[in-house]
Amino acid sequence: MKGNFRLRRIASFGMLAVLALALAACEQHPNTTFSPHSDYGLAIDFLWDRLLLLATIVFVLVESALIYIVFRYRKREGDQRPPQTHGNVVIEIFWTLIPAFILLFIAVPTVRTIFKTQAKAVAGALQIEVIGHQWWWEFRYPEYGIITANEIYIPTGRTVNFKLTSNDVIHSFWAPQLGGKRDLITNRTNYIWLTPDSTMQPAEWNGFCTEYCGTSHGKMRFRVFTVKPDQFASWVAKERGPAVFGATAIPTPAPAAGAATPAMIVPVSEGSAEPGYTFPANQPEFDYAKPHTPVPAGMTFTRGLTGNAHRGQQVYSSAACIGCHAIAGNPASMANIGPNLTHFGSRATIGAGSFPNTPAYLALWIKNARVMKPGVIMPTLGMNEFDPVLKTQVTKAQGGLDDQQIADIVAYLSALK
Amino acid sequence: MASTAIPTQAAPHATAPYAEKSGVWSWLTTVDHKRIGLLYLYTALVFFIIGGLEAELLRIQLQGPNRHFVSAELYNQLFTMHGTTMIFLAVMPLSAAFFNFLIPLQIGARDVAFPRLNAFSYWVYLFGGIFITLPILFQVAPNGGWFGYVPLTTKAYSPGVNIDFWVIGLLVLGVSSLAAAFNFITTIINLRTPGMTLMRMPMFTWMSFVVMFMLILAFPVITIALVFLLFDRFFGTNFYTITAGADPLLWQHLFWIFGHPEVYILILPAFGLVSEVLPTYSGKPLFGYPVMVYSGILIGVLGFGVWAHHMFAVGLGPIADSVFALSTLLIGIPTGVKIFNWLATMAQGSIRYTTSMMFGIGLVALFIIGGISGIMHASPPADLQQTDTYFIVAHFHYVLFGGSIMGIFAGIYNYFPKITGRLMNEPLGRWHFWTNFVGMNLTFFPMHFSGMLGMPRRIYTYDAGQGWDSYNLISSIGAYILVVATLIFVYNFFMSRKRGAIAGPNPWNAGTLEWSIPSPPPEYNFAVLPYVTSRYPLWEGGEADAESARINSQEGRSAEELGIVLPYSTIKPLLVALGLIVMFSGLMITHALIFIGAAILVGSLYSWLLSPLEPEHH
Repeated sequence: MKGNFRLRRIASFGMLAVLALALAACEQHPNTTFSPHSDYGLAIDFLWDRLLLLATIVFVLVESALIYIVFRYRKREGDQRPPQTHGNVVIEIFWTLIPAFILLFIAVPTVRTIFKTQAKAVAGALQIEVIGHQWWWEFRYPEYGIITANEIYIPTGRTVNFKLTSNDVIHSFWAPQLGGKRDLITNRTNYIWLTPDSTMQPAEWNGFCTEYCGTSHGKMRFRVFTVKPDQFASWVAKERGPAVFGATAIPTPAPAAGAATPAMIVPVSEGSAEPGYTFPANQPEFDYAKPHTPVPAGMTFTRGLTGNAHRGQQVYSSAACIGCHAIAGNPASMANIGPNLTHFGSRATIGAGSFPNTPAYLALWIKNARVMKPGVIMPTLGMNEFDPVLKTQVTKAQGGLDDQQIADIVAYLSALK
Repeated sequence: MASTAIPTQAAPHATAPYAEKSGVWSWLTTVDHKRIGLLYLYTALVFFIIGGLEAELLRIQLQGPNRHFVSAELYNQLFTMHGTTMIFLAVMPLSAAFFNFLIPLQIGARDVAFPRLNAFSYWVYLFGGIFITLPILFQVAPNGGWFGYVPLTTKAYSPGVNIDFWVIGLLVLGVSSLAAAFNFITTIINLRTPGMTLMRMPMFTWMSFVVMFMLILAFPVITIALVFLLFDRFFGTNFYTITAGADPLLWQHLFWIFGHPEVYILILPAFGLVSEVLPTYSGKPLFGYPVMVYSGILIGVLGFGVWAHHMFAVGLGPIADSVFALSTLLIGIPTGVKIFNWLATMAQGSIRYTTSMMFGIGLVALFIIGGISGIMHASPPADLQQTDTYFIVAHFHYVLFGGSIMGIFAGIYNYFPKITGRLMNEPLGRWHFWTNFVGMNLTFFPMHFSGMLGMPRRIYTYDAGQGWDSYNLISSIGAYILVVATLIFVYNFFMSRKRGAIAGPNPWNAGTLEWSIPSPPPEYNFAVLPYVTSRYPLWEGGEADAESARINSQEGRSAEELGIVLPYSTIKPLLVALGLIVMFSGLMITHALIFIGAAILVGSLYSWLLSPLEPEHH
């Protein structure tokens, strides 16, 4: 009686767990490691499948044996003293050899895959330098002289060799759908290479920092755009030169989600040049790659301001901005402490994947980056804003910017396509 | 269980030696290994609850996407302190509670080899634990992760006092572990009762013996790493200074040469406890005793040759990766053998489902899962998709919660009657087991999925739409169940301490020496030192075993009456420990404290060494 009750209880707990997991499985899994899209990812997945198979067999057999023994040999009324066995050498040798035998089937493909995936990258691979910063990514294409941040474009079907270094602490580079991770270690250089599947349609992948690197480690994300070779060529052609300033008007942005609903900022539109390929502009965006982070409470921006990109350029060039950022084509702005902003207007996110790159979010970011993303080096710039690190209010004398000036800078940066 | 039929009554005077010596002063000055064991037990349980609360706050934050229950800064402190607390302040000292209480009883000794050093170990642990834990109340707790990777933890990137607390705290705690390890090695080698050969020692003592050697080999390494960091932070040396060209891998190698053996330091005592529990409730001796000993030793030795499997992502090159992959796979063999031998111990037995046994079986069931996922990331390419994700969090919680903690609970339920003289409440115990078992699996099993679905570790929040929401919600629900489980345990523990049924010397009909004496044991443990002729003296021993057990279990006289010489109580070990912590905290507060602390330390140590341990023998 009592045993049956306990069995039912175990069973109902088990069912509950299975149900919950089944529910969870209904979600979309945009960062799964189970459906790789590169040769490197596939090599790992092959190993994983074998590991999972062997693991499942071992798990089922051993747990079944345990459950059988536990129920079969429970104490019953009138049990005699059980046999006082001390061991059995033959059996023990046998079950020492079994795991050794199983492990052989893991060891051989493991070593093979290690040497295969850690060989030198093929000649002619696309070189990309990845430099880790607290808490953003710098990407350089030495072949094309391109410097960008938090977003990489790579062509499908061509091997990409990432050269990994760090500017400060240790970070780790990981785009789960494209393969395994590799650390960015200060005073060291690491490499990792992969070839995106040549048959796939242009797509967008999430990337993460996976080595704890301080306060905003959780917000050190990046995007990988795998595009067709011709799209890549078009993107390269655009990125190589300085920004085509003010090429297109920015559509009126929708109010930001969350607490604050910043004003609409419409930069002036002028000139016309052919912009190169950019992913979010030329393709529907993938929802999982769009940040959904709400604006921190208490952030506000004056409604109804209109920014002017030319004024913005002047404000930018005489404000603190140029102490850290570089914009090719703007001789005042040549520092390389913060992300390179040359083609900032065509990027999808700000703050290393923290927020969408829309004027509404950008204005708040410039106003008080330290509230938008904890721990960042970028100072609080908005006049009368409270700087959470210095614990003081920003004044005019310290170079505080009013909302109109910020709107102008937003117009300028957004125009840098 | 017939025990419930025994009417609750006050323990007879003779079997309650602790009642004679009460009051705070007696606890501050005790050198009795059993009382020190109790101090360890209570302190470690408090830290276990603190560490659990820290984890609870983490789970509240991660319950859903983009939550800001705690700030990024506080979250990072909480996960650092959760790991540090559970490893150094909860699980290791819980094992130490059993080392202290059980080892002398299991080998038939009247105390440890160095009773005052033993007290010193405890006080250093207590002061070090408080030192490293207090800052969380002021939100200046260590925030570099329990692994404290440089250069993040160097002054350049962590200028605050947070990491100072961590470095000094761990250095001090290391002193405690080392002192204890030397003490127990000496005890086990020298104080075994006649006939207690090494191959007759109970398995818990054996596994502890292995752990002691691991401690004295592993802790100097972390001490070196920490001293480098301390010197960098306080005196401007350049061991880890990036701008001076330091290689951050120096820290990683040193840390993991300590860090991986540390994992076995945490798990082997639990293996030992389960190797006592399973035979007791199956009514059979441990299956394959010699192989269990050898596999324990082998795990201990191999444990020092696998450290770089924590570093597969750092790019050590294909040869190093292959070597460490193979050595890691190799360690799976002795571990597998242990599990098979436990199964064989239970097979053909007559299994009694006490709470202790259920926790013991729980350890076997859950450790299998942790072991298997361990094999999965022993393969470096596969590991590169798993390391630093929640898959790893799932893995080591199956090993440390499913393994160590379940084993320790099995030990607590089994030895509570020996420690207190009273039985724990069995129905409540069963509630504790089931809530714990369900909560544990609900918390940690989904993490296998969230990890393989791309969720990195140590992130203070995550965005919506990443496919992790439901798994995290389930994990958090599981964590709430674990709170309930722990509350049941705490209630049961204190109620049973007061009102539990009287246990008698051997309530479980176990076979080893500690069950041949009254519960709780008298101050001197054994009235006559037993002569041992087998591994389970109470089950299969000869005439001599039975005779000494009969005398010891019925002895009611005091040490003086029996003419047994016991060491003096003394406050000096506490003062030396106090001097140590004052001296180190002077580094952070004011240098004057360094001299004051050193003066207390040297003065009380001098006086300790000049005072006799015990009255002269007549």
